[in-house]
Amino acid sequence: MATIGHNNLNAKLVLLGDMGAGKSSLVLRFVKGQFLEFQESTIGAAFFSQTLAVNDATVKFEIWDTAGQERYHSLAPMYYRGAAAAIIVYDITSAESFARAKKWVQELQKQGNPNMVMALAGNKADLEERRCVPAEDARAYAEENGLFFVETSAKTAQNVNEIFYEIAKKLPRAQPPQNPAGMVLVDRQTDGSRASTCCS
Amino acid sequence: MLPKCPIVPRANGYPIVPGACGFPSPMASDSVSPSSSSDSAYDSAAYQNPNPNPNPSDKPINAIDGQLMSSLVLADSTDSVNHEEGPPSSVNEGDIVDANVLASEESDRTVMVEVDVREEEEEEVQRSEAVVVEERETGGGGGEGEVWRVNSELEVDAPDSPNSSGYAGERGTSSASSACGTGEDDICQVRDGDFVNGVVESQAVWIPGKRHVDEDDASMSWRQRKKHFFILSHSGKPIYSRHGDEHKLAGFSATLQAIISFVENGYADEANNGDRVKLVRAGKHQVVFLVKGPIYLVCISCTEEPFESLRGQLELLYGQMILILTKSVNRCFEKNPKFDMTPLLGGTDVVFSSLIHSFNWNPATFLHAYTCLPLAYPTRQAAGAILQDVADSGVLFAILMCKHKVVSLVGAQKASLHPDDMLLLSNFVMTSESFSPICLPRYNPMAFLYAYVHYLDANTYLMLLTTSSDAFYHLKECRLHIEAVLLKSNVLSEVQRSMLDGGMHVEDVPVDPSPRSGSASPHLGQHSPERVREAYTGTGGPCGLWHFMYRSIYLDQYVSSEFSSPIGTPKQQKRLHRAYQKIYASMHDKGFGPHRTQFRRDENYVLLCWVTQDFELYAAFDPLADKALAIRTCNRVCQWVKDVENEIFLLGASPFSWWGKRIEKCFAEWPVGGLIAGHLRL
Repeated sequence: MATIGHNNLNAKLVLLGDMGAGKSSLVLRFVKGQFLEFQESTIGAAFFSQTLAVNDATVKFEIWDTAGQERYHSLAPMYYRGAAAAIIVYDITSAESFARAKKWVQELQKQGNPNMVMALAGNKADLEERRCVPAEDARAYAEENGLFFVETSAKTAQNVNEIFYEIAKKLPRAQPPQNPAGMVLVDRQTDGSRASTCCS
Repeated sequence: MLPKCPIVPRANGYPIVPGACGFPSPMASDSVSPSSSSDSAYDSAAYQNPNPNPNPSDKPINAIDGQLMSSLVLADSTDSVNHEEGPPSSVNEGDIVDANVLASEESDRTVMVEVDVREEEEEEVQRSEAVVVEERETGGGGGEGEVWRVNSELEVDAPDSPNSSGYAGERGTSSASSACGTGEDDICQVRDGDFVNGVVESQAVWIPGKRHVDEDDASMSWRQRKKHFFILSHSGKPIYSRHGDEHKLAGFSATLQAIISFVENGYADEANNGDRVKLVRAGKHQVVFLVKGPIYLVCISCTEEPFESLRGQLELLYGQMILILTKSVNRCFEKNPKFDMTPLLGGTDVVFSSLIHSFNWNPATFLHAYTCLPLAYPTRQAAGAILQDVADSGVLFAILMCKHKVVSLVGAQKASLHPDDMLLLSNFVMTSESFSPICLPRYNPMAFLYAYVHYLDANTYLMLLTTSSDAFYHLKECRLHIEAVLLKSNVLSEVQRSMLDGGMHVEDVPVDPSPRSGSASPHLGQHSPERVREAYTGTGGPCGLWHFMYRSIYLDQYVSSEFSSPIGTPKQQKRLHRAYQKIYASMHDKGFGPHRTQFRRDENYVLLCWVTQDFELYAAFDPLADKALAIRTCNRVCQWVKDVENEIFLLGASPFSWWGKRIEKCFAEWPVGGLIAGHLRL
């Protein structure tokens, strides 16, 4: 959910993508400026927060770094529900991870917040010699689906801050101020009241 | 059903794992003399087959399974030829006891497969072995089982390594094993640099994560690993392997599955469904099986750990899997027996490998108890109070831990947390701040809970468990509140101080109440820096006391002394851990025990064990220690533990709902009660 107050925006951001695509590495690079060659698999979902200054406002990202493993797939809605932004990450050296990324985009389009800012990140851009997913393919796909696309490298820090900054800039426009609080929460409350009137 | 294999129902109706506690220990039976002192070495007759025909063995793992399979198939196809009535000559008394006592608690009938392979280090190539498949009625306990004996000659390709064994580890380090990696069971690297201040936690030098992924069952290095763990599905699909790539081990998994299913429904007559293979012994190797519905777990080990210990380890491994996936994973197998589970466990290698590593150092893995970080009583009370506040607001369990030690823990009303679940939970590594679904196998194996974990510093972490998947922000607020209170009340700084100081040092065991100036019951951490420790430098505590471990039965907690110089290196600590594990199994041998006391001397230690209704004490002394003095020292240790119990244990707020019942039961059976029900007498 994204909330605005006194030029401060709180935005829930979720990272989705195949196991090993580099979600945790992107977050660690963005939040701590670190990179580990052998990043351990995320288990469940890790939570981070980081504040960015955009123009004259600040955006505080509440970042959910989810596990890419299949077993957590059914639990993903728990993490992307109410998210203002999502970064779908794939590994440019793995066509499989790109296919998986497309599935995540579909799922978010169906289930997610319609105003969600979605970014597609082709990670591991430093491994150009092992590339399997042409940048043009990904760009074309992103344009078709209205995603913001960039190739990143958590290792070299290429485009890492940029992707978060770009999302931060897009947020206020995507999230109209008249509907500030978490969409889903509001919906659910209405659902709840409807249900209770039904029963009574 | 065998009365010797009780399934003790816990409060939640989930049975106790027939692991180390309360499970019979047939192997040790020969070597243990009840309630008396014995100076015998560990290697008992039960470990070595007195078969007069030497069957040189020492063979790689694939050879074993190859032989097993061929032998078992032989047994099947040549039923009439090789069928013998009564036990064959190669079966000794110990083996028969095995077959009886190891009867599966969940099956009506049990099969015991023994592959007896006589060790013969000089002989190298020609190998023959006796395979004894024993089947008997579990209920009867009588000896009228059908027994096959099959001798098969097998050519085993002799390994290229300089010794005869595929498993270099059997004879300690060999050039072959040292050339092929750093498996913790293969080579114990004793690096002097790791030895700091005489106290090294053995886990400190261990690097998490899976190694040797390039190996498979064709690799020599893989076969030389001393301890393998496998999880596979009932269709033989690999799920997890400690060493090597699961996918490359598909053939090997299928072999293990074939052994299990052969025993379950393969041979002999009509209604023998439910037969379970539990143990296969091949020379120094034990192959331990555990069947959990559609999940099969197998351990192949030449570490000489007792069967019950290995089986307990398989139970924990299964528990860890349930913690990640819940037992509802069984449904996937109902829908599709060929279901491939590996993607579901993706990325959890580190969790399993760290659990398996903990089998080498963490006494909780066989004691089924947890340990607390030593803290002043008011400090722990303060931590407990703030956790209690949170527990009242819809948190199921609130646990504050430092590494594997509990600072404080609180459960919602009527909720109980099993020590094994705590072990598995704390092993489930989560860094920074996270919110993940987990399942507590002893609490409810079918359902997920949600664990909010936050590291307050590098070692100290708070875990809040809830049933609600939406509770993250609530739990985050709870954590902020708890963290603020902990900082304000100096709990966190006390925790850090305790981490540095350690807990009970054998050097501090009160020598005699009178000569010690000041209080007879010193508080932990209040000793002056220039305490008597110097007097014992290099020799541990008084009377050659090197280490002790005390388990409080009512509290489900244990305390162990810090490691001091005679057992300063990780290798020495691991050896002591194994010795404790072995003696624990023998003390809890239901067939011949439980024993009350045991005094055992070998070339490494004197081990003295003392089990009462209230506590269990395990102490290790210098191998030359005097028996009378050792006993006196144990009494002092017990008194000391009692004196400082409110600092080393979490008292009062027992999270275990069966606690009260147990106390009632124990007092009914044992009217003496009290923490020390009479001193051990000379």
